[in-house]
Amino acid sequence: MTNFINHTLPNGINLYIYPTEKFKTIVYSLFLHQNLKRDLVTKTALLPFVLERGSKKWPNTQKLVVALENLYGADIMSEVTKRGERQILQFILEIVNPLYVRENGELEKKGLEVLKDVLTNPVVENNGFKESFVNREKQILTNIVQGLINDKVSYAVERCVQEMCREEDYGVYRLGRVEDLPNLDSSGLYSYYQELLNSAPIDIFVLGNVDPDNTMALMEEAFNFPRGNIYEMEPTLIYKEVSEPRYVEERLDVNQGKLTLGFRTNTKVTDDDYYPLLLYNGILGAFPHSKLFQNVREKASLAYYASSRLDREKGILLIASGIEIENYQKALEIIQQQMESIKAGDITDDELDSTRVGYINQIKVTEDSPYQIINRYLGGLISGRQETEEETIEQINRVQVEDVVRVAEKIQLDTIYFLRNKE
Amino acid sequence: MAVISERLLKNDTIQEKVHVATLYPGLEVFVFPKKGYNKKYASFATQFGSIDNSFYVEGNKNLLEVPDGVAHFLEHKLFEGEKGNVFDEFARKGASANAYTNFTMTNYLFSSTDNFEDCFDLLINFVQDPYFTAESVEKEKGIIAQEIRMYEDNPGWRLFFNLLGCLYSVHPVRKDIAGTVESIMDIDEEILYKCYRTFYHPSNMALFVVGDLEPERVIHQVMENLEHRDYQPLGEIKRIYPEEPQAVRDKCVREKMEVYQPLLSLGFKDRNVGFTGRDLFKKELASELVLEMLFGKSTETYNRLYEEGLINDQFGTSFVAEKDYAYTMMGGETPDPDKLYQALLDSITQYIQKGFKEEDFERQRRKMLGEFLRNFNSLEFIANNFLYYHFRENNLFDFVSLLQEMKAEDIHLRLRELFDKDYHSCSIITSNGG
Repeated sequence: MTNFINHTLPNGINLYIYPTEKFKTIVYSLFLHQNLKRDLVTKTALLPFVLERGSKKWPNTQKLVVALENLYGADIMSEVTKRGERQILQFILEIVNPLYVRENGELEKKGLEVLKDVLTNPVVENNGFKESFVNREKQILTNIVQGLINDKVSYAVERCVQEMCREEDYGVYRLGRVEDLPNLDSSGLYSYYQELLNSAPIDIFVLGNVDPDNTMALMEEAFNFPRGNIYEMEPTLIYKEVSEPRYVEERLDVNQGKLTLGFRTNTKVTDDDYYPLLLYNGILGAFPHSKLFQNVREKASLAYYASSRLDREKGILLIASGIEIENYQKALEIIQQQMESIKAGDITDDELDSTRVGYINQIKVTEDSPYQIINRYLGGLISGRQETEEETIEQINRVQVEDVVRVAEKIQLDTIYFLRNKE
Repeated sequence: MAVISERLLKNDTIQEKVHVATLYPGLEVFVFPKKGYNKKYASFATQFGSIDNSFYVEGNKNLLEVPDGVAHFLEHKLFEGEKGNVFDEFARKGASANAYTNFTMTNYLFSSTDNFEDCFDLLINFVQDPYFTAESVEKEKGIIAQEIRMYEDNPGWRLFFNLLGCLYSVHPVRKDIAGTVESIMDIDEEILYKCYRTFYHPSNMALFVVGDLEPERVIHQVMENLEHRDYQPLGEIKRIYPEEPQAVRDKCVREKMEVYQPLLSLGFKDRNVGFTGRDLFKKELASELVLEMLFGKSTETYNRLYEEGLINDQFGTSFVAEKDYAYTMMGGETPDPDKLYQALLDSITQYIQKGFKEEDFERQRRKMLGEFLRNFNSLEFIANNFLYYHFRENNLFDFVSLLQEMKAEDIHLRLRELFDKDYHSCSIITSNGG
């Protein structure tokens, strides 16, 4: 993790370079950070959809894709994510390391040229983005947001978060709200994008078989546009007392019931309790050896999947399981028993040790994927807790049963969301 | 005595190599060294998939017919050993284990950074030591029933199997891999043992290991393990598939589900089957090139349909070829499945008349090479694909030379036979209207 070379470009963009010969590709990844706000979320989310449609030099999707295919199927991808109460736009360029295709070193330069044009040179008409792009992408975004319902497994988890955080900015979907779309026009969207380019915190990662000095020069040239003052990122709301858990039921035409439980952990990544919380999640439900898998699935045969996951940046924990609808009460009881047992310190050495080595394994394999290396470092930048692999492992090893019991006491059930059939 | 043969496969473009040893009584072991990777990934696979539900072994007279979903059920049950759940033992060593079953194979795998040799022993042993009891088989039915129910609510999965059910009349590829909630009720430990004895013989299996490892040591470890097991040669396994007519079963199937937008999948049944080895691989690559040139993101068709609002960027195409069956599929979400259906058929007709441009062919070839190279970042890709191609008597590395040798006339030929209008079906999922 210490291999990142950090450099700030004259316009305030942070550059992180990770030279390595391990991979067949070179990855360029740009992150643009925005505060997650209900009135901004939809227009922020719409931007990458419009930008990916074309640029001045490659003015439509077809021309853009042809250019990338010629570069050995280089790929420009974008991603909209929500990490705590920040919304992040990610633009990725992945190209084959020129060594493998005997290209004379122009491959990176050509790829970067496309990425740069997409980001800084969109197709503009009447002081706005191209109208037809914006209209079509508004439709596309509507379909994606509404289409969330197609995948019942993730739909149930997303709905639980929305219900649980309905009074916080976090309760909004990462791609925004359909009702906002009719009010967005191409010129408003374009000037909003100019604002973001001017003042959003931007991080660029470069990872692969690259020469750092050469890359720095290339990047200074590619991302040399002038910027103003950079805005601050606001902290995420983590601590919240729950007076009474809320039950939400939704009825759809489904065969399987989806039981989802949302909890407040009241623990932040920078808290001392963070690693005990991580271990708590592992003992409870992150692995096949965890209590949920063992008891809901293996012992009671109630489910194919029963697991927990920690949303570390927001400090919430989610349990999800797919069950026969009539087994709602039985499954809920077994899940609650598992949480009670952790609170009572009923954790075997095997459970604790397996969880420890399970997480240590996950941390070590991070190093084998360009995207995971970048993501882990970005996580450190966001949370303000940047640690090396060794430091992380050491802290995981230090957690004892009593630490896990202590965090267990802080965890409060906030919302039970049950997706079930229509009668 | 235990090593039947050893060889080294290399590829200069990808700059990788794989050591292969055939061990008595016929197990193929592959070791793919990947310097600098922390992760070690091993998989142990058998050629037993959901379509193998009627078979006998040479020398035996009795044909065995088993309920749908047996291969997948066996996969679940193999993780249970006499001393408990194997998942837990992997967990103690910090490894993460898993398995999957598809139409033609079952694959058991683990990945770990530490304790490789222990974990590897565990993998080899649990796959070779079945332990099925009536009680544990009964208990698994509840779990698998929920897995099936989960897929019943998955529109993409329903779309896919509805289409296969339309294209094929009797071939078991038309059936869901996990079977049905009803069919799995007929499975008992005796059936599992019978299947196990046939398909889990080493001569029907392969082991693939990838990571920063010494090939000789890994191969030696497998050899030692096999030596104590006193295997006898198995006869040839004869898989019996019903005679599939050339014609498709139905033109179209529609289902209502809880979806926002309808989904369409258009499929063509490939009647030119029976290929194996390099020929099969070549046919697959040619088909993929055709599909990219017709419907890929750089095509006129894709962009026109996208602009018209008939498709979104999830629109995709696929070609799947096994020895006995092959099919092409294309589709995705659409506001108007009937219109998209017609538009796709029209594009195909026009394209066949017009043919393709040389430069499109060259560009797609480049793109496919780049994408193939990129996949070698992933140990999972390497292991899963090497095994998949190995079982079809291919060497994954041949991708590069086959791609380079591909000629325009191969593509023309493939284009004409891939889409025969008399042999297509479509599957549509529409919204139940809330």
